[in-house]
Amino acid sequence: MIIILAIDALEYELVEKFNCQNLKQKFYGKTDISEFSQPRTIVLWSSFMTGKNKEKEILLKGKKEMWNTKFDIKDTFFSEFKNPAIFDLPGFNYNKEVHDKSRTLLKKFFEVKTEKEKEKIRKEYNKDAFDHHKKIKERFLKAIDKNHDLILGYFSVVDVIGHLNFGNNMLMRMLYKEMDDIAKKCAEKNCPLLILSDHGMKAIGKFGDHSDYGFWSLNLNKNLKTPKITDFYRIIKSLR
Amino acid sequence: MKTIQEEKRMSIVIVGHVDHGKSTLIGRLLYDTNSLPRDKFEEVKETCEALGREMEFGFILDHLQEEREQGITIDTAQIFFNTEKRNYVIIDAPGHREFIKNMITGASQTDAAILIVDANEGVKEQTKRHAYILKMLGLKQLIIVINKMDLVNYRKDRFIEVKEDLLNFLLRLNLGPSFTIPIVAKNGDNIAKKSENMPWYKGKTVLECLDTFQSMRKNSDKSLRFSIQDVYKINNKRILVGRVEAGVIKKGDEILILPKKKKTKVKSIEKFLENPIQGEAGESIGITIQDSLFIERGNVICKEVGDKPKVTDKIKANVFWISDREFNINERITLKLATQEVSAKVEKIEKRIDSSTLKEIETNAKNLKNNEVGVMVVKTLKPVVVDNFNYIPELGRFVFEKDNGIVAGGIITEEK
Amino acid sequence: MDHLSELESKSIYIIREAYKQFHNIAMLWSIGKDSTTLLWLCRKAFFGKIPFPILHIDTGYKFPEMIKWRDEYAKKWGLNLIVGRNEEAIKAGISPKNKLECCTALKTEALKQTITKHKFKALLLGIRRDEHGIRAKERYFSPRDLEFRWDYKNQPPELWDQYKTKQDDEEHIRVHPMLHWTEIDIWEYIKKEKIPIIPLYFAKDGKRYRSIGCKPCCLPINSKADTIDKIIQELKTTSISERSGRAQDKESAYMMQKLRSLGYM
Ligand SMILES: Nc1nc2c(ncn2[C@@H]2O[C@H](COP(=O)(O)OP(=O)(O)O)[C@@H](O)[C@H]2O)c(=O)[nH]1
Ligand SMILES: [Zn+2]
Repeated sequence: MIIILAIDALEYELVEKFNCQNLKQKFYGKTDISEFSQPRTIVLWSSFMTGKNKEKEILLKGKKEMWNTKFDIKDTFFSEFKNPAIFDLPGFNYNKEVHDKSRTLLKKFFEVKTEKEKEKIRKEYNKDAFDHHKKIKERFLKAIDKNHDLILGYFSVVDVIGHLNFGNNMLMRMLYKEMDDIAKKCAEKNCPLLILSDHGMKAIGKFGDHSDYGFWSLNLNKNLKTPKITDFYRIIKSLR
Repeated sequence: MKTIQEEKRMSIVIVGHVDHGKSTLIGRLLYDTNSLPRDKFEEVKETCEALGREMEFGFILDHLQEEREQGITIDTAQIFFNTEKRNYVIIDAPGHREFIKNMITGASQTDAAILIVDANEGVKEQTKRHAYILKMLGLKQLIIVINKMDLVNYRKDRFIEVKEDLLNFLLRLNLGPSFTIPIVAKNGDNIAKKSENMPWYKGKTVLECLDTFQSMRKNSDKSLRFSIQDVYKINNKRILVGRVEAGVIKKGDEILILPKKKKTKVKSIEKFLENPIQGEAGESIGITIQDSLFIERGNVICKEVGDKPKVTDKIKANVFWISDREFNINERITLKLATQEVSAKVEKIEKRIDSSTLKEIETNAKNLKNNEVGVMVVKTLKPVVVDNFNYIPELGRFVFEKDNGIVAGGIITEEK
Repeated sequence: MDHLSELESKSIYIIREAYKQFHNIAMLWSIGKDSTTLLWLCRKAFFGKIPFPILHIDTGYKFPEMIKWRDEYAKKWGLNLIVGRNEEAIKAGISPKNKLECCTALKTEALKQTITKHKFKALLLGIRRDEHGIRAKERYFSPRDLEFRWDYKNQPPELWDQYKTKQDDEEHIRVHPMLHWTEIDIWEYIKKEKIPIIPLYFAKDGKRYRSIGCKPCCLPINSKADTIDKIIQELKTTSISERSGRAQDKESAYMMQKLRSLGYM
């Protein structure tokens, strides 16, 4: 079995700051995503699973349509496995409704004028993110006890919460601790474990903007230094 | 409402091994003393619930450091709380090994300390090292809290066991705690309220203990020591500026200026827009003197009668090395003591000690490394004016400087 | 000694220490309450005759009242005032409206130029530990490199009033004599010493400034505090941090634009 923990916007610097041992594993570092014009979530995860830079292709679809991107399993490394379980991955099988709603709320947050309205939207936005997270977590943790040869869990909570709350250090620390605990449960399975983010996050006041590198960690030594996100296609195949 | 001005603020430091509960204790202290708006705690609680986790008081600290300037993030902030008696400020002191420098910087500015130990894990290397540093800094007001008593079923025997273990170590340092308290930081047992889970403990709570301490560090009741910082010429007056390290200096006092033992009289005490007749310990003042003597930075003034500091070029000291850069006995080094600065050589390192075990690594050593303590004889190129650390700490402690930075702190145990 | 005298004595000691050790120093005066208090302490440390220049960085976007007030007191207190301006940037029209980092650019560059020109070895600044989280880690004597970077992870230790007083060539030292003060201490000291403070801090028509800097970045807060006593009372009962009014709108606008370009909206 191989486990992949795909964590959106997991920031290298915060993993260091909060000293998340389980997220770091034995080998960890930053990824190089400088080949992309912008650190866009959907582009990065698509490139990750296909092993090819999909930026051009996806941007052609336009801002709205790009979120509907759906790659066939044949185009991804998942097809190399007999019985893979993939949870909620953008560009593949994510729960579009939930993710669409959170983007709608985000937009609304910036549109409304008063602090009061903003607070209300933030609350709803955060709550949705936590609720969704708990659901995915439960399903994912159940699955790692089953017999899959590949399990990929995609977690969006760090990104979603981060955009509106990155300056809330308390919230961020708790989220990192939460993800660290999930990583710990994965590590207990004693199988190859890859932890990866598409990009990290940096502060704009209390908000969070994407930073222009991602995070990776692995419990095996593959001599990775600053790998590109498309390199993992090959790396994962070599883990089998 | 009492204003801060009426009541002095007492600064405390909370130290101990990582994960033994420092942040949790701080969070709990803030909660129990109502020192933060309740909604902050509510937010922590709600978030814990949203994630399906247990309430973590330690997270409240992160609320105090919403920091984003330059994207720099920092471990802990300076934190205030108050009891009915007075205001407290908790000076930052992280617990990781690589931060010993920071811990020393923090702890050297405080009046009292809380040393925390996990009841389950017991005394660790870092616990001992921190205890050693407290001792070196001369902190006498110390509370030991044995935390996480819930994990050991509130057992008295386990409390005694951990307590004895630590006390044995402290005894070797000659550092007796003022109090030892079993607590559960997470639930608030024996912090602001007596614990119902440990009826066998009859002593005070953490807050009650803190309130018994004194923020006194100023030694006005001791003999006069005035360190000269600089000499200014202002409106044709020659003003010797500096700080009263101990005692009181008055207009008309017969004084001696050390190391040269020159005798004179205080003509005036100088402060801008004031006409004081005296300056007390801790005060930065200026003085003028009767005679025109050559005086420079580093000179120390004491009274002509009464006890005086020693003028010597040889001292015995315990030196705590806090630099990655290893020290070799043949190197010259700069010694800075109050406003004195002299070149020095270490004549002998009688013992080289591991600060966490107090084990002697070597006698008659040639080197000293990070986190080690050297019992040494230091020879200065020019005479220095010193006191025993236990008598007047301000003139009984010094730092070593090398390559433009502080590499060690030392306390004088004997003036030869 | 009471609390305020203790704070004062420690600050004066540090100011004198900085002057003795570096000689070629300057004090940065923003005209705000903190640095005006620092200026007051410097006057006390040197018995009314400050032996080094007082530096004011003018971004070209300051409140006009500030300039007038500055010049009045500079004259009254016999200060050697140096005004630093980043003329190029101001000419190039860098303005606070179009960039998140405007003030930093204007301030930092002007400061760098002035330091280089006068070869200052150290600068006195009126920052406090309680201002915000990051300051808790500051030292009284804090080295910065040529690019003003602060290596906060690897700072020299400071104990027993011994500071980093020697420097490498490519360093300058920031000295913070008021690090141990709080915002309330400042106001109580201003009251006790009757330090003149620019009137922008006091409420007018239901609004007052809690911190002042560039006009475009500072938003007044709602307040009725028009005397020092009322300000102290207000501070004791509020928990909003000092800088919160400032800059948030700008951040919001910037963030919206970023999220748009990332395809979120
Ligand atoms: N059971 C129990 N756990 C505690 C107690 N105090 C702290 N902890 C836990 O111990 C862990 C480390 O505590 P923390 O305050 O972060 O330690 P620090 O590293 O010393 O600041 C956290 O998970 C706390 O929840 C306690 O009294 N009982
Ligand atoms: Zn993303």
